[in-house]
Amino acid sequence: MIQILIRYATLFITTMLVLAALSFSLAYLFPGDVLVNLTGITPQNETERAALLRQFQLDKPYLFQFIHYVQQLLQGNWGYSFVSGLPLREEIGIAMPATIELSAYALFVAIFVGVPLGCYAGMRSYTKRDYLINSASMVSYSFPVFWLALVFIMVFSLNLGIVPLSGRVSLLFDVPPTTGFILIDIIIAENTDTSLALNDALYHLLLPTISIALVSTASVVRLTRRSVIDVLKSPYIAAAESRGLSRVQIFRRHILRNALLPILPLMAIQITTLITNAMIVETLFSWPGIGNWLIQAIYQRDYPALRVGMLAVATLVVSFTILIDLFNRIIDPSREKYERGTV
Amino acid sequence: MAQFSLYQEESQPSPWHRTWEEFRSSHVAFAGFIVLGLFLFVSLFAPLVAPYDPLQQNIDALLVPPSWEPNGTVSHLFGTDALGRDVFSRIMYGCRVTFGSSVLLVLIAMLVGVTIGTIAGMTSGVRSSVINHTLDALMAIPTLLIAIIIVAILGTGLVNSMWAITLALIPQFIHHTRSFVRSEMKKEYILASRLDGAKPVQLFFHSVLPNMIEMLVVQGSLALSVAVIDISALGFLNLGAQPPLPELGVILADGLDVAYVAPWNVGLPGLTIFLMVLAINIVGDGLRSALRRRLTH
Repeated sequence: MIQILIRYATLFITTMLVLAALSFSLAYLFPGDVLVNLTGITPQNETERAALLRQFQLDKPYLFQFIHYVQQLLQGNWGYSFVSGLPLREEIGIAMPATIELSAYALFVAIFVGVPLGCYAGMRSYTKRDYLINSASMVSYSFPVFWLALVFIMVFSLNLGIVPLSGRVSLLFDVPPTTGFILIDIIIAENTDTSLALNDALYHLLLPTISIALVSTASVVRLTRRSVIDVLKSPYIAAAESRGLSRVQIFRRHILRNALLPILPLMAIQITTLITNAMIVETLFSWPGIGNWLIQAIYQRDYPALRVGMLAVATLVVSFTILIDLFNRIIDPSREKYERGTV
Repeated sequence: MAQFSLYQEESQPSPWHRTWEEFRSSHVAFAGFIVLGLFLFVSLFAPLVAPYDPLQQNIDALLVPPSWEPNGTVSHLFGTDALGRDVFSRIMYGCRVTFGSSVLLVLIAMLVGVTIGTIAGMTSGVRSSVINHTLDALMAIPTLLIAIIIVAILGTGLVNSMWAITLALIPQFIHHTRSFVRSEMKKEYILASRLDGAKPVQLFFHSVLPNMIEMLVVQGSLALSVAVIDISALGFLNLGAQPPLPELGVILADGLDVAYVAPWNVGLPGLTIFLMVLAINIVGDGLRSALRRRLTH
């Protein structure tokens, strides 16, 4: 147990160092001045420039520069944005929770719709209902998410006018961003009508969540179905049947847990797809998340923002993946390291 | 205990032949295969079959609706866009750019991934373990992020977005090759060849690779559907192919300006991407189940 923890901690630190090194080298790879790319501060004259170079230790060898860079990152000095001039830490602190919130709801929908549907299809495998669920999941898995979101906007916002077009909450509500999670912010916020604001925020959430969740739900359905079918073939199910257990009992005691185990590491891969889709959908719905923020940054060639934004998103995704992997190792030590389920 | 599986026919069908028979017995998979073949045909022969030049603008025919609408004409099957360009021809050329570049980048990713994966699978020890785990973790970085960084360094363009997606796809091939090679190296037939004095290179090309090709085809089809979606997504976000080039995502983004008066400019390119990805996924799924059936029977 402790050995596993140490191994994963080492892995986490190594990966973080690799990511930090990548982010540091970006300052040199991006066009323009290294000093500006690294700090976001444009020096006014030569003396100021020399002073800044000394302050950020850019006159020293690369290794010392990198060590200083990591120290700065850990202390929270992430540099300033070209465009807004604000500290990047604050900007990411506001944008990141919006993305996490959106993806979390989509993941929630994907798991709570996908797993039961997949189990149902797997238990009734190779029947008409199974084919129906399977083909529906295949179709929704093939949607390009940006087009799906556009079609949703055209149908539900422009033609039918049921749901709002963009943003997180109507501007009529005054919600200060305390945590960055809109629903929590609304509950905390004073002098707004909480229930009205919540209702409005949920309407805003509806379309982006569904467009992201549709693709993820489809893959969860397919993964679960395959896993259940594989478990159904195993000898211990035949043994349970011969003992006279009912189908429901077999499902509850033998199938569910064994089928869900191999899905877990695949969920880790799904998170990457989920975040990518969330980032694309954000730009379409003007959702003030990290994806929208990064894409605005690339349009405006805001290099310091890109450097830190990349590090922040990569850190988020990588830590999620490693955590899920670790969790999987701990609850199921019998599995081989490299083994993963299939679709 | 031993069950005799005598084969009644004169000749023994090869594994590939049996997979093909299993694949063909599923009608849905075969329909997907035909649609995919159609896309391949269009991408190969777009200049011959497209009725118009995709870049030719026509001021006399702006925003002509598709031919099935009351005031559409049959000379523009899918209508025209805001500059009078024929949408049908643009979509045909779009298939060529999107599908062609996706196939190319999947092949490159496969080549690099299999090479590194084999080396990682045949070696062992701490160094290999560190490389493997770090790769696994880096595999989690989203394509969009890699694309944004590459665009920031090299600038926008179709080729740059292709590099980004290739980079994002490689780890997946490495992962699958590595676990395949690792499990295969433990088997007896490898041991037999090794006792015969085969070098690692010979071992790979004569023993492992022939068994790996099916896995590669399946993984390739998965990667292809991801590549098509990613290429068009980057084109749509204006991070990949640039506007005059008819790429499906770019056509879609172009149509966005007139989406309210001419919805077919958004609907049809999107539908094409969707159909393309659906066909790839159906074929991939059909292949996987054909292989599964062949191996269990």
